[in-house]
Amino acid sequence: MTSEAAYILYVVFALGAVGLYFLLPNPGRKSAGVGAALGVAAVGALLVFLSQKIGGRGEGSGFFYLFAGIAVLAAGRVVTHRRPVFSALYFVVSVIAVAALMVLQEAEFLAIALIIIYAGAILVTYLFVMMLAQQSGSPVYDVRAREPFAAVVAGFILMAAVAGRAGDLPEAKRPATIPVMQTHTPDGLAPDDLAPGESALGESTLGDPVEFEMESHTLSIARVLMTKYVVVLELSGVLLLVSMVGAIAMSRKVVPVDPNRPAPTPLGEVGKSVEPF
Amino acid sequence: MLDSVTSWASECSTCVVDFATSQLGVSVILAAVVFGAMQGVVSYSIYFERKIAAWMQDRRGPNRTGPLGLFQPIADGLKFVFKEDILPNHVDKVLFVLAPTLAFIVAFIGFAAIPWGGQLQIGDRLLNIQVANPDIGLLYLLGVGSMSVYGVVLGGWASNNKYSFYGGIRATAQMISYEIPMGFCILVIVLTMGTLRLENITLAQTGYWANGLIPQWNVFLHPLAFLILFITVLAETNRTPFDLAEAEQELVGGFHTEYGALKFGMFFLGEYAHMITSSAFIAVLFLGGWHLPFVPWAQPEATQWYAVLFKMGVLGAKICGFLFVMIWLRWTLLRFRFDQLMRMAWLGLIPMTLALFLLTVGLLYFDKHRSPVWALGGNAVILFVSLAYVAMSSKPITGRQTNMPVISEREFGGSQAEVSA
Repeated sequence: MTSEAAYILYVVFALGAVGLYFLLPNPGRKSAGVGAALGVAAVGALLVFLSQKIGGRGEGSGFFYLFAGIAVLAAGRVVTHRRPVFSALYFVVSVIAVAALMVLQEAEFLAIALIIIYAGAILVTYLFVMMLAQQSGSPVYDVRAREPFAAVVAGFILMAAVAGRAGDLPEAKRPATIPVMQTHTPDGLAPDDLAPGESALGESTLGDPVEFEMESHTLSIARVLMTKYVVVLELSGVLLLVSMVGAIAMSRKVVPVDPNRPAPTPLGEVGKSVEPF
Repeated sequence: MLDSVTSWASECSTCVVDFATSQLGVSVILAAVVFGAMQGVVSYSIYFERKIAAWMQDRRGPNRTGPLGLFQPIADGLKFVFKEDILPNHVDKVLFVLAPTLAFIVAFIGFAAIPWGGQLQIGDRLLNIQVANPDIGLLYLLGVGSMSVYGVVLGGWASNNKYSFYGGIRATAQMISYEIPMGFCILVIVLTMGTLRLENITLAQTGYWANGLIPQWNVFLHPLAFLILFITVLAETNRTPFDLAEAEQELVGGFHTEYGALKFGMFFLGEYAHMITSSAFIAVLFLGGWHLPFVPWAQPEATQWYAVLFKMGVLGAKICGFLFVMIWLRWTLLRFRFDQLMRMAWLGLIPMTLALFLLTVGLLYFDKHRSPVWALGGNAVILFVSLAYVAMSSKPITGRQTNMPVISEREFGGSQAEVSA
């Protein structure tokens, strides 16, 4: 990575920013086609740049480009689509594509946690609220983007800041093949005799489940979280709890009781009172 | 010429055999077999649903198509395929088609992580009878299950119909609520077993307690968690008494009111496939998966091909048992009212599973988490306290919703008299 690579990235991001500006919803403008062309060109240029400069020509890199492209395009649609329900669905697509990228990096736990928390819980809640709030018609805040220019400039500056630091990143260290997980093989068969794909799929033998766990990503992430970052973890948990309690406290309204309302009938009896036995 | 052809043929056949006996080959074959078999099982589970319903209601059930009505699923399937595929004018076209596809796909990909039959020995290789053995198999199933709500919600929303919309909204609220106790039950098992790999969870349940009398199945450690997980699975699969998303008496067909032909068939197959996946999931977590006590073929040491087939049969029988209970409940229980459903999750199941979770954490701290006496005692205490609380409390679980806010004159626009008149 050289500084000229960073400049190429700046140009690519500028292209994407201009495309995004034209794509952001605005009823007065009829240039969405230009924006789409520029946006797709920017994504394509980014992928070509990544494949040329950073490498990633190893096994599975095709999947990387596929899912990275899906993630970026879906993220673009999240902000440019006029209907909020579709925006939320594109968000789901983006989340799943990013989870796939994590699986490619063998970070299965992070991937599935992302899917369970974002795609499975948070975005379902978003959809729930959107469907309840708006059933037909598009209000003005959906068809017209608020401050599109400032948003695009801020996004460009953020991305450019990341790209500027890209020169400091170490070269890609990922070997051409997926590293073989240390598996316990039957007698007379060395681990080298297995093809990499076989072991990666998880060939284990009986009664030795511990060996797998020692190597697993889940265990290592748990170890780090529960030792080095345990205070941060607990604090963030408490913060979430406090915000949840606060949200409930704020949403509870005192409803004035109607003085003319008849006294409620005893529970379990519908409409009329029943004599006890 | 002929020599080259025969040598090529023999090379090809060896490479085919090599592929078929590698883990990848076994995975591919198993995926194809399981996918095909599941579609058959799913369509016949609909047949058995109708037969069991008829048996419980003193009727005969489907008996016209073939002997005992056995060809009924085939006839139903043909009807699904050959009926006119209607796309109503007022629907959102893309999502309307996407929703049943999503429901179908999500219901079927869960099968990938189920350990079907332990290990198979071919030559000197041991192959997992499992399509994929990911490190996070349990979380994978949880994630796939949490995605299953999208089919119902999108179908309900895209139909642009009030009945469908209410079905979708109900399904969302229900699934979000019941995922919480489900997650706690699964956490109890994760804490007890110390692994997320489904194959290892099965293997850890193959031992015995009490001098080889009682198998170490998790159901003997945490029967309460087993029951609550089964209840939440009923809710997640939209089965009675939790089928509010498609309550016929109130919502016509609920989220699938506007669907017909193959698109409705996909919803239908997806629902039953989801039932089967969830049953397999509970069987693996709590009933030892393919393990059957005292039967040598169903032990982890048995790796011959007939033992593997036997283990697959054992897991299949456990799944069928769960399916039967689900069908039985459908034709026995009444549907919950929506506020009862919510109260049961938030005031009943979540506190109980939270207590179970804390119990397991405590047992883990004192290193008693695999001790049946302590775990069972804790479960019994939690169950007893919950029952006592329900019996003592002045608010019954059923009955009228008491905490509904009063609609004041101001909010109602002063037209309350007109409405009541």
